[in-house]
Amino acid sequence: MPFVRDCEVLAHQEVAADHYRITLAAPEIAKQARPGMFCMIEVGTGFYPFLRRPFSVERIHADGISFLYKVEGEGTRLLSRFRAGDTVNIQGPLGRPFPVEAGMRRYFLVAGGIGVAPFPALAEAIIAVGGTPEVLLAARTEHLLIGARDFSRMGCRVVLATDDGSCGMKGTAVDLLKQDLGTGEGSVVYACGPMAMLRAAHETCLAAGVVCWASLEAHMACGDGVCMRCVVPANRETEAERMARVCREGPVFDSRDINWTACP
Amino acid sequence: MADLRVNIGGLFMKNPVTVASGTFGYGQEYDEYFDIAQLGAVTVKSLTLQPRAGNRPPRLAETPAGLLNAIGLQNVGIEAYLRAKLPFLRKKGCTIIANIYGYVPDDYAELARRLESEQGADAIEVNLSCPNVHDARSVGGCKLVAQQPEAVLKYTRVIRSATRLPLFIKLSPNVADIVEPCLAAQEGGADGLSLINTLLGMEIDVKTRKPVLSNLVGGLSGPAIRPVALKMVWDAARAVKIPIIGMGGICNARDAVAFLLVGASAVAVGSASFRRPDTALQVIKGLEDYLEEHGFSRVTELVGALKTE
Ligand SMILES: Cc1cc2nc3c(=O)[nH]c(=O)nc-3n(C[C@H](O)[C@H](O)[C@H](O)COP(=O)(O)OP(=O)(O)OC[C@H]3O[C@@H](n4cnc5c(N)ncnc54)[C@H](O)[C@@H]3O)c2cc1C
Ligand SMILES: Cc1cc2nc3c(=O)[nH]c(=O)nc-3n(C[C@H](O)[C@H](O)[C@H](O)COP(=O)(O)O)c2cc1C
Ligand code: FES
Repeated sequence: MPFVRDCEVLAHQEVAADHYRITLAAPEIAKQARPGMFCMIEVGTGFYPFLRRPFSVERIHADGISFLYKVEGEGTRLLSRFRAGDTVNIQGPLGRPFPVEAGMRRYFLVAGGIGVAPFPALAEAIIAVGGTPEVLLAARTEHLLIGARDFSRMGCRVVLATDDGSCGMKGTAVDLLKQDLGTGEGSVVYACGPMAMLRAAHETCLAAGVVCWASLEAHMACGDGVCMRCVVPANRETEAERMARVCREGPVFDSRDINWTACP
Repeated sequence: MADLRVNIGGLFMKNPVTVASGTFGYGQEYDEYFDIAQLGAVTVKSLTLQPRAGNRPPRLAETPAGLLNAIGLQNVGIEAYLRAKLPFLRKKGCTIIANIYGYVPDDYAELARRLESEQGADAIEVNLSCPNVHDARSVGGCKLVAQQPEAVLKYTRVIRSATRLPLFIKLSPNVADIVEPCLAAQEGGADGLSLINTLLGMEIDVKTRKPVLSNLVGGLSGPAIRPVALKMVWDAARAVKIPIIGMGGICNARDAVAFLLVGASAVAVGSASFRRPDTALQVIKGLEDYLEEHGFSRVTELVGALKTE
């Protein structure tokens, strides 16, 4: 059951250039939130922007949640202005979470850029079932590799890559996956990042016969399954289901459910 | 407490507030936030005979104080509606306005017949005004039925003869004179009108030099269109005898009162539900307060009570 709640901002820090972490007091939402779910945040009460903005839950605490975000346009710019003590209205938790099963041999978390946002909560959930998350983290350049140290401190294996080679391997998160996946036996892959990266992760996993849970990004209006803005082509039989709602059927999909050839 | 009940064209509503088709799905999603049976009626997404997957994304963009959309009527189709969506609404005890869309008059007639015979609705709203299912590339686009009064008359007659359910014709603001199609719908036997659907519009991303919607053009909704909608309801209300469901940018009770004052008998909350799912419920509560505060005992006293002196 999602909620619409005014929440107090507990903390708000810039974690890298144009990247912020906002922590909110939201006990009811925290209680229901699972890794991979998202919230719609009201970035302003005026008429522009008119809509809320979707953000994945980064971490789930006993009485609060945090989000990790990058300033993209007007909405995220407004969001970055809130200070500790201010009130932000959020709606959630929404969408389907990452399925976490105990007993897998390897858990790969493949993150491109700000796609790392939902992974701290996921890593905690994997550790809670006795697994060791292997975080394959890639970004454009070194200072945008966000949270690497936090993952290490949690006990994750962390492997880094950058587009410009300034830190770790020169390449993408999927390049790291190709290097590490091996036969893929007993492995599960979780991926979040730009569509091109998700597509590459899907293809790599498909070839290895590994399940890939991909968290998709789509522009949303309602976040609640009623407006049909956020749809992606899915491998479904019927015309009614051919375009699946990222906010409702996702944002986390088994990558084999997505009709990648029909994606833009 | 003031009496909020209305009877519009044979449709009884416990209050004059419904939601706009396409902004509330089939009700179930938003029932997670509030009891949707509290609404005067639930108006469902346009239903077609066959399911539709809609237009290619991008389908919607934000504009100043509004939204531009070209969803293209993605919907489950009448069959799945009756089987999978209707039971929930009935179990909740909702008053249901089923919005329908077709390509020819007979499509609408068949949809109306099925809805009546399978108790799929308490009233029918006929979408003659969807701007998003035609090829925008053809110069001038394709004319909507709602832009041709003779066609409105013809469609309304055919649908009227197919059902005894209260029948509302939903018209387009993309006309020079809104009164003409309104009179045509009335003459065709409509029990009421729904005004307005979205205003045709366009938005360009100058970085890519492309339209922001895959459909090139779309329909504008939200507070940006409210003054246009109010004027059209005002014009229509003075010309027709049948009741009007007013909509276009309603965000709160004040907006709703304005529509009632210019002559709407009921109102629908559309795009604003995307910001707050319970907007329509807040409108009902605010309406109650307004009546109390201004000493009205019935909401019907507000209808057309505009002071022009
Ligand atoms: C399920 C989900 C989870 C997300 N989680 C995060 C997160 O944890 N951290 C983070 O930084 N970002 C996340 N995003 C992306 C984030 O929602 C966008 O960056 C944000 O909406 C941009 O808004 P803006 O007004 O700043 O940008 P503008 O470009 O001005 O926005 C214009 C419109 O496009 C939409 N939009 C623009 N970029 C995106 C995008 N990449 N994805 C979806 N919609 C977009 C906006 O919502 C708005 O409707 C997520 C998106 C989705 C769908
Ligand atoms: C995303 C979206 C989808 C819509 N879909 C439909 C539809 O299927 N059928 C219809 O008759 N009107 C549809 N409309 C129009 C609304 O019902 C309403 O007439 C219009 O949006 C004006 O109200 P508003 O400004 O309060 O949103 C849609 C509007 C939006 C924003
Ligand atoms: S954002 Fe409205 S249906 Fe997904």
